[in-house]
Parts: sequence; structure tokens; C-alpha cells
Amino acid sequence: MTAQEVRLCGLLLQEHFGNVVEKVGTHLIRSGVLTLRALAHETKLPLDLVKKSLCVLVQHGMCTFGAGRRGPAGPVEYRINCERVFHMLRYPRYIYTAKSLYGDTGELIVEEILQRGQMTMSSTVKTVADRLTHNMPEGQSMDYSEVVSAFSQLVETHFLQRCPLASAGSSSSGAVDTPLPVATQPTEPESHPDCYKLPYINLTGQGKRRRSSEDGEADQCAAKKCGDDRIYWQVNFQRFHLHFRDQAIISAVSCKLDQSSSEIVRTMLRMSEVTTPAHAAFTQALSANEIFRALLSSYNIARPILDQYLSLLVDDPMEFVGKTGDSGGGMYVVNLHRALANLARATLESVVQERFGSRSARIFRLLLRKRHLEQKQVEDFAMIPAKEAKDMLYKLLSENLVQLQEIPKTPDYAPSRTFYLYTVNQLPTARLLLQHSYKTVGNLMERRLYETKENKRLLEKSQRIEAILASLQATGAEAAQLTEVEEMITVPERQQLESLRHHINKLDSSENQVDETIFLLKSYINSTQASL
Amino acid sequence: MKHVSLLLYSCLIQYFCSQGQLDLLRNSSGLLYRLKDAQSASKVKGSDNQEKLVYQIIEDAGNKGIWSRDIRYKSNLPLTEINKILKNLESKKLIKAVKSVAASKKKVYMLYNLQPDRSVTGGVLNQQCFKFLQSKAEAARDSKQSPMVQRNSSFANSHEVWKYICELGISKVDLSMEDIETILNTLIFDGKVEMTIIAAKEGTVGSVDGQMKLYRGVNPIIQPTGLVKTPCGLCPVFDDCHEGGEIAPSNCVYMAEWLDL
Repeated sequence: MTAQEVRLCGLLLQEHFGNVVEKVGTHLIRSGVLTLRALAHETKLPLDLVKKSLCVLVQHGMCTFGAGRRGPAGPVEYRINCERVFHMLRYPRYIYTAKSLYGDTGELIVEEILQRGQMTMSSTVKTVADRLTHNMPEGQSMDYSEVVSAFSQLVETHFLQRCPLASAGSSSSGAVDTPLPVATQPTEPESHPDCYKLPYINLTGQGKRRRSSEDGEADQCAAKKCGDDRIYWQVNFQRFHLHFRDQAIISAVSCKLDQSSSEIVRTMLRMSEVTTPAHAAFTQALSANEIFRALLSSYNIARPILDQYLSLLVDDPMEFVGKTGDSGGGMYVVNLHRALANLARATLESVVQERFGSRSARIFRLLLRKRHLEQKQVEDFAMIPAKEAKDMLYKLLSENLVQLQEIPKTPDYAPSRTFYLYTVNQLPTARLLLQHSYKTVGNLMERRLYETKENKRLLEKSQRIEAILASLQATGAEAAQLTEVEEMITVPERQQLESLRHHINKLDSSENQVDETIFLLKSYINSTQASL
Repeated sequence: MKHVSLLLYSCLIQYFCSQGQLDLLRNSSGLLYRLKDAQSASKVKGSDNQEKLVYQIIEDAGNKGIWSRDIRYKSNLPLTEINKILKNLESKKLIKAVKSVAASKKKVYMLYNLQPDRSVTGGVLNQQCFKFLQSKAEAARDSKQSPMVQRNSSFANSHEVWKYICELGISKVDLSMEDIETILNTLIFDGKVEMTIIAAKEGTVGSVDGQMKLYRGVNPIIQPTGLVKTPCGLCPVFDDCHEGGEIAPSNCVYMAEWLDL
């Protein structure tokens, strides 16, 4: 855990869950694995607060617990899953994807489950139906069956999955004393055989409009009657990540080649969505016949044209698609790892270009292609005058984007008798940029918090005025009274509020943009680790 | 200055010329004299006449520079003398040698503080080559034929590019195919062009050793990445920035500017 990652985790926990959870979480990240007593003692917080924070973290899947170093007889140890905390940055992107694929219903389902961490199907359906009904015009209401169908669609395409059961202790059968899993190995949700099976629940009805007179307890009693008491659902983040990766590959193909090629690649990826394992280097081999059958008729691609496009994709230097055989009209695979490496490389090149200029980018690309070069050769290939080339190379060297390799001609490393070669290593540079991105997101979040804090007084005032306005409108006041209340905010204050809103929106959207970079770099780094 | 006699004038002019403080120029109406400014006068003070002559020739060449053989023709000095003088002037940092894009072994000499002309370093040539390839790719895309034909017609081999550049006539020096290939390589390193090598029959135009190099204009595969859209991605003091320090996100000047855009 690098310092930047710990800082970012702390900021995210504080923003989503508050100060106490942040304190507990940060301490647990720094220490690795701790028991409850040790954690309470070191953070100097009361025990019940620590327990509640751990509950929150476990509910969201960020904290795992298991048997400790002393074995099953000893106290339980807790550890934080940092990757899961970083996923909180990406929540807007998950919700937006669900919306684009499954409409408003899907969006609300994913939003609810992300907010609560884990939910049963019945409670999700009820809450979403109520929310949708609330936004509909008077007299209409959302039927539960529509929400159920959206939910089942999400489960079928594996975007939602069942939470892995917590073992021992709470098992109602009480049969065998199953030992707790070791804290270092959390149970994989995919190892559960019924991971994607929908429970049979008896759920009919419609969404209710929320009225202040209604009692919330009535809903709770109704929920217990449905058949899915202990089956909790969570968002399958890996599936969303595969979806983002596919989108990145498709857009890269469409930029590089043309629209039709990208549609073909989209079809290939869609066909192998659920059959390809998560960290595979290639998708499953698909024959040209299958691809032709699966192509949507709206693209209007004839069979011989399809063959030509496939051979063009195979011949392309970027090697997005590879040919593995000739049966069935040709067997084709999408090279996932190679595509990720190309995307990461393009990211590195774009960072160098924006930061240092296009000539430095030329030197960077030159070194990426030709591996090791002397300074003289760099000047020759890049056609840049010697003085400027030297300056740019040293600048890149000082930022650690380029490394120097010494090859001595004699056993003593005499400078006049040593070759000095410049080189770029893609993987360490990608890690470096990933840490930079974490730091950048941390900076943006801190700036946002600072801006909010600076204008706290103004924000509170505007909130009070809005509340007064709302209550006046509800009780039916005259227009004169409304304008009088509105004028309590002066014009410069209004401008300040407007600019504050603009700043915070800009910071928010740029956090999402940096998160895209983080996603590409992290996928690339993970893909290299998986193949080791 | 009427009462100064002509004889005295000519003696003075002779004296100043030999001192190197007056320039002798020929005009259509006769001889003209111009006062050299003090700096350039002091530069050549330590050298003798031959060196001054060579320096003058190089200075006259201006931006383009001049080749050593041309210096020899203009000054009528033997080759060994020329080489010695050139080395001397170079060590005094009065002239410099610039490699020409036309022939990489040929060195042209020009004054130390001048920028070499574009035609020597190929600045404009880059853009012309790229535009040619790009227009070819666009024509191919608009032709709406089958994709294989489209792709093949968007390729150009090095011979075609060379012919195009020669016909354009923008380069003042003669370029060979190797020079064009060097320029195209820089475009590859700019990420704007990609190259494939195909096997070609010996006799076909433009093939070298049974191979032919084909070039094609391409687009970048991703948009500029999210990190560089923030001020932190481009910040020169990124490593010094931390909360509570002099440079911090809360008081960052770059962020304040960027937010107000």
C-alpha cells in the first residue's frame, strides 16, 4: 500500500461514511491485519463505535474477517480490501452503464444496491418501485413485475451476483462446525454454485407513493413474507470492468480502422461475454460462420465483406484480432492482453505529449519502439537538433519516464569507455503514472472539500432560504412574500454560489476522467501479472 | 568634409579595410563602403586574411550554409588550407557545421548563431508528406469500395511519396529516397503514420532488395487521457505538492485558474 493509495482510501471513506469509519479504516489499512481489541486500543475509540464501523465496512464488502494467526481458537482478525475502496470512485460510471443498458429501472436498482452494499431482491424491488412511482405523474404507479424483470436481466448478464455466505456461527442448521476461512483468502462469490440463480419469490403489487402518514413498519412485515430471507445480492464489479474494457477496445478499433470493423469486434466480444474467464489473454475462438450469424442485420455486412474485414483486422499492426485456425471459415480471437497493452501505451504517449510537447513525445515513441538507443542515434532518428534533443532527454530522465542503461566496455566503468543507452520500460512507467493518478484524484477531492468548507456559511444560508421557500409554497403564500424571501440572497452572493457550483461540478467530472486513466492502467498492470 | 583630399580618403579607406572595420561592396554605380559594427569587427580581429576571406564567404551564404567544396571554388585556396581554416574557425566558435537532410554525410557551414534553413532540416517536408498520405487515406475511405481495396489504395509506397515531394518542388536541395524514408520514419515516431513491408518483385518501381515499404496515415487510437485534462497532470511542481505545505491543492494557483475557465 503506497502512501498515495492510503491517502485516497482515507478520503473516499470519509466522503462516503464519515470520520469515524475513516479513522478505523485508515488505521486498519496501515496495519494490515488486526483483531477487534487491538484496533479499538490503537485508535482510542470506544469499542461499540469500532464495531459499528467494521459492520459498515463488512456490509459493503470492503472488510473481510477470518481466523487469525492463532488459528480457529483465537480472536478473529480483520483486513481491508483496498481495491474495493477504490471502486467507490467509479460508482457514477457503474450507474451510468446500467442506465444505458437497462434504462431507468436498471439504473435505480444498481444505485440502491451500491448504496446499501448488499440487499435482498424483494427489498430492492420494493424500494425501486417506490422511487419510480414517486417520480411518475399522479395516478400511475410502477408495477413490481417490471422491476423484477429488470433485476433478472441484470442477474442473467452477471452484473449482479449473490453474496458469498458468511460461514459457521450463524448457520441455522447447526450441523457441522465448518471452520472459518483464513483471513487471507476471502471466499470467491463465483465458487458458489447458485451464484446467479434467482430465488423464487412471491412478489406482486405496485409501488407506493411515499406519504408522511404511512408507517414504515408495515413494509417490513410484508418483506419477511417473501421467500428470500437470507439471499443477499451485490454488484459484480468484475463484470462491469470487463464491460468497460470491451468498450475501450471497441472505441480504439473504430478510431484506428473504421466503424464496421468496430461493430465486428463488438459482436465478437458480445458472443464471448460470459464464456471467457476474467483474466484470459484471448477470448474463445469464434469461427467466421458464427460471427456472420451473430451479426445484426442492421449493419448490412455481406459474407465476403466480413471475411475481408476479418483479414484486415488480423493484418493490422495493433493486432487486436488474431487468427488461430482455418476450420469453419477461419477461427478468430480477440487479443485482450495485447489490446490492453496498446491502450496503456497510447495513454503513456498521450501523457508525455501533453506534458512535454510533441517533440518529446516523438523521442518517447522512438525509444518505446527501438528499445535501447544512444544519444546520437536518438538525434538522428528523431531529426531533432542535438542541443534540444539532449535537453528533452534529460528532462524525461529527471521525471523518471526514461531510464539510462550503462554498458561498460572495460571492467572499470570509465565514462569515456562506456555506452550509455536510453530506454523506456512500459510496465514500471505505467505503475508510476498510476501513482500519479491516485495523487491527482486525492488532490482534486481535497480541493473540492476545501471549496465547500470555505463557502460553508453561504451554502447553509442558501439551504435555509430554500427550506423557507418550500414551506411557504406548500402552505400557499403570495408571490410578494416569495420574492421577498428570495431577495434575502444578494446578487453577488448568488454569483458566488453559481461559481461554487460550477467549480464543484468541474472537480467532480475531472475526478471521473482521471478514473478512466486509472482503470486503463490498472487493467494493463493486472493483465501482465496474470500472465506471469 | 570637402577640404579633405581624395588621396587622404583613399588611404584612410585602405587602412580601415585592412583593419577589418570597413566592408567593401560593389554596387551598380560603383564601389560602396559600409562600417562594420564593432562586435563583428572584433570577432575576426585575431585571424589573418585568409581566414577573414573564408569567414566572409560563409557569412554571405547566410541561412543556407555552404559546402566546403564551394568555399574552395570561391576563395581559390587549396583544400588543406581550407580544412585548417575551417577547423580554426570552428574552435573559435565563429562557424558551425550543420548536417543536411539532403545528404547525411555532407556538412554545410554557417555562422554560429544562425538557425539552419528549413529545407536543410526538413521541417516543412514532414507536414507535406503527412498531408499527402492523409489525403490518400481520405480518398480511399470515400471511395466506398470493398474494404480490402480501400485499404490497399490508402497505402503509398516510398517511391510515390518521393515523386510527390519532388514534383512539389518545395525543397531547395535534391532529396533521395532514403531521405524521404528518414522523414517518414519521424512521422511514424509522431504516431501519425504506420508502415508495413511487403515482398515485391525485383523489377517493380520503388522496390529495394525484393521488399517495398508502404506507408499509411492513421488516427490516434485514444483521445488524450483523463489525467492530462486536469492541472495536476501537467503541473511542473507535482512532486512538491502535499496538503499542509507551501504548495497544496487548497492554495494551488493552477487549479484556481483552471476552475475559473
